Amino acid sequence: MTNDESAVRRLVRDRYADAASEGCCGGTETSCCGGDDGTSDTASDAAEIAREIGYDDEAIETVDGEANLGLGCGNPTAIADLEPGETVLDLGSGGGFDCFLAAREVGPEGRVIGVDMTPEMIEKARANARANDAGNVSFRLGEIEHLPVADGVVDTIISNCVVNLSPAKDRVFEEAYRVLRPGGRLAITDPVRTDSLPESVREDPGSLAGCISGAESPERIASLLEAAGFIDIRVELDPDSREVIDEWHDEYDLGGSLLSARIEAEKPVE
Amino acid sequence: MNEDLLDIICCPLDKSELELDVRDRDDGEIVSGTLTCTECGEAYPIEDGIPNLLPPDMREETTA
Repeated sequence: MTNDESAVRRLVRDRYADAASEGCCGGTETSCCGGDDGTSDTASDAAEIAREIGYDDEAIETVDGEANLGLGCGNPTAIADLEPGETVLDLGSGGGFDCFLAAREVGPEGRVIGVDMTPEMIEKARANARANDAGNVSFRLGEIEHLPVADGVVDTIISNCVVNLSPAKDRVFEEAYRVLRPGGRLAITDPVRTDSLPESVREDPGSLAGCISGAESPERIASLLEAAGFIDIRVELDPDSREVIDEWHDEYDLGGSLLSARIEAEKPVE
Repeated sequence: MNEDLLDIICCPLDKSELELDVRDRDDGEIVSGTLTCTECGEAYPIEDGIPNLLPPDMREETTA
């Protein structure tokens, strides 16, 4: 690992450790869920953000605890078409919200594994697992570039607003490919860059941890997935995400430069 | 962590199998212990029920 990569990882982890302890938005200027004046009700903010990015009220209301931190940019469980009995892996599971939603889809015969590199997030997720009585969900500390998951054991990989944070996205997709079974699917949501960013935003180190400057173009995402071996690759922009993304930065409406995308791909059977 | 997850976790570095050494168990859940890679010998702690499977360079920063 290069020093640059280590520095990026440290920056991202510190930022999300703060978000875990402070709840939605983490009180930072730029983040995956926009500026926070520090006086708002973080739980209802998180619910509002979740609604805007594609979760229905039932999902928001039936997950107990503080699993929904309002740090996502889409709803991967909605696009993943999960079947009962499946093994699901969530890359960057955070407070565990998507894991608990996925757990309901796969049922008691299935299982959901959340991997996150931030100890504070994993602790929070575990507490939320107890609140949700989610016996088929487990969390572990790990890096998405070095997944601690055996080859070919996962049916579906989900992830929400995480892959853009990685300084080694090629490795993330290679690892995803490795752990999927043949015919397994990747169904994630992540911001992609649709136009250039203002220079001051690009150079702000906070922009990386805020899911802004690490976002790649849709073409680049598709070519990284193809290089990893995936087929049936789809990167579909979600124009409805513009409003939420506009709130990610205090000075600029970033919805003209970034949009949330549904990114889907399949590991070939042979 | 649950013991039946052992078949789907592996060493983050060389992807080899891990050997479980249980220190403390609570109602079937492994609360503390160690997972040791059968290939490279790297030991990964389980603390408060959470396996820490970060690569060693990241793990040292976490506990620092």
